[in-house]
Amino acid sequence: MKKILLKILGIAAFIYGLLFAVFYFDLDGKFLYYIFEPAMIKHFDNMKREDNTTMPYEMKENVSRE
Amino acid sequence: MKIKEMGGKLRARAGAMRDKLSEKPDVRKMARDFWYGKPHEERRLGDLYIGDTGLYKHREWRGVVDTMYYFNMIWLYNYIHMVTDVMKYGGGPVMGPVNLVKGLMRYRWMGQPYLTVMHWFDRGLEGMRGPILRGSAWHYRGMTSETIRQFMEMFASDKKLNGGKESEQWKHNIAHNETVSGSIFYGFHDVLEDIPLEMIPYFVTCHVNNHTVLNYIDAAQSIGLPSDPCPMCQAEYGLFVLDDYPDYAPTMITSNEACDGSVATSVLQDWFLNRPLYAMPQPMRYDDPLVQEHCQREIEGAWKFIEEQYGVKFDWDMYCKYAEEQNKLTAFEHEKWDVAANTPYYPINGVAQALYRIYYSQDGNRPIWHEIDAHVRKIMNNTVKNKIVTLPKTRHRAIAWSCAPLYYSNWCTWAYNCWGINCVINMDSLMFDQYLRTDTYEHALEDLAWYNEKAPMRAMAVGGHEHILSLWSYMERFNCDMVIMYDQLQCKGMQGIHGVFEDEFRKRDIHAIWVPHALPDKRTVSRKEIRKIISDYMITVMREEPLDPTLVDFEDDSSW
Ligand code: SF4
Repeated sequence: MKKILLKILGIAAFIYGLLFAVFYFDLDGKFLYYIFEPAMIKHFDNMKREDNTTMPYEMKENVSRE
Repeated sequence: MKIKEMGGKLRARAGAMRDKLSEKPDVRKMARDFWYGKPHEERRLGDLYIGDTGLYKHREWRGVVDTMYYFNMIWLYNYIHMVTDVMKYGGGPVMGPVNLVKGLMRYRWMGQPYLTVMHWFDRGLEGMRGPILRGSAWHYRGMTSETIRQFMEMFASDKKLNGGKESEQWKHNIAHNETVSGSIFYGFHDVLEDIPLEMIPYFVTCHVNNHTVLNYIDAAQSIGLPSDPCPMCQAEYGLFVLDDYPDYAPTMITSNEACDGSVATSVLQDWFLNRPLYAMPQPMRYDDPLVQEHCQREIEGAWKFIEEQYGVKFDWDMYCKYAEEQNKLTAFEHEKWDVAANTPYYPINGVAQALYRIYYSQDGNRPIWHEIDAHVRKIMNNTVKNKIVTLPKTRHRAIAWSCAPLYYSNWCTWAYNCWGINCVINMDSLMFDQYLRTDTYEHALEDLAWYNEKAPMRAMAVGGHEHILSLWSYMERFNCDMVIMYDQLQCKGMQGIHGVFEDEFRKRDIHAIWVPHALPDKRTVSRKEIRKIISDYMITVMREEPLDPTLVDFEDDSSW
């Protein structure tokens, strides 16, 4: 039991240490800046989009308080 | 010759290294710096940046207590709460993440900027220590949570993400301009959900990651719309040109707030959305007594529109309940101003103050704002009681006036770290300064009209010169000795009064630094140029030395 507890504590400490390294060396920022964002930009640049300017513009029914 | 020169350089470098090695390390000082963090003048924060990316070689070491606070209570806490917020507001532990990924892949304004949110915290909180680090971080936490709530509600009911289905949630949502305040909808608050259309796709992105908005500005101009109107309005309708707006509501309520540039936005939105739309304009010269009744009728018109479109009734008791809740937020804001104005114990820095205030007063009453205010109240009570000076290197108390650069709202964090300029208050914090009475329907309507007339930029920028010139009384009230005068180059209203300010500054012998910018568009005046203007003034006019010389000149053009 003690052994398992120690093992869990050890794993938790390791994960905590790892997260601290990610935080301290700004690894989250570096991942997002160098890998994630460029991939997303590529994705959005290549995305097919509706041409909204083909929407007809007509006079609307009067929906105000009158 | 070259080899000789190189040899000389190498010898000099080796000599310097020898000297350094022979110097005895001051172990006590190293231990002190490790435990408490380096003194302000020795921090060299500019050395932490990687090129012009804004990334850090490593995040700042603030001493053991503050670094661990930042790691546990800001970085980890916020990452964890982002996940729980996504589940809470997005329909549970399965549908929340599913809807998030759908939105992330569909909308550029979601997929590109928002995951970088912790760097937004970093930029705003650089150099902060102790209570001001904590108080400001709570403000950022509130804004992050409310942003997640809004986009998750949008995604859950978005027709574009749900196969064109008009879900029950879609049928109960009202879309409105970000400049229509949430308080308008208090009488329907428990039965309908009002979600501002541009606040998350446009406004907040500019602060978190200023790259995204440029796509929308360019898209607006690409269909032949002029490039000289306010870039805020351009970006707002650019979202529609690029088909990047979420379709989460059957109706839309628009406004001409902040200025008449927004009228064009409304017209274009009417075209692109092609659905029932109610335009709720507010008068530009709003304190003319003759326009009050007109403004009140406009609000009642919006209520009637909602009743007709959704088949629900305006509920007076519900209105009172939320208006009174909002009054509690206003009361605490006044307490904060009091501490900011009259003591050096204010635990919120300039950028957190500005963004939080503009966000919650525009957005309207939500539980998260009360939760955040409770945390901040505790911190503020403690700093006041124990007389903790929160920004001890303050040399100047500044007020920032006019419309601010969204891509560099954290300039005040830099200005304090570099020059000791403490931006105590800003124009956008002072708007919406209005309690909402609930004793009679007439009073309620009167105050609600006033509240909306005192909206950002309208209140003090384009609502008449007597409001713009209220700067002098606010300077006095907040004990400021310096003005940071924003100069939005595409704001026709503010450009028109530029000369009057020049004259007044001279006449009153006030130190004022003009900061040109183009609201969300960093390409017109870069952040580096803004810093240079402030630094030049501090060196040539004030004849002061920087507190941290590494921050005077550095690159950050490609940063978020
Ligand atoms: S910055 Fe000026 S032009 Fe733009 S919305 Fe505000 S008041 Fe209008």
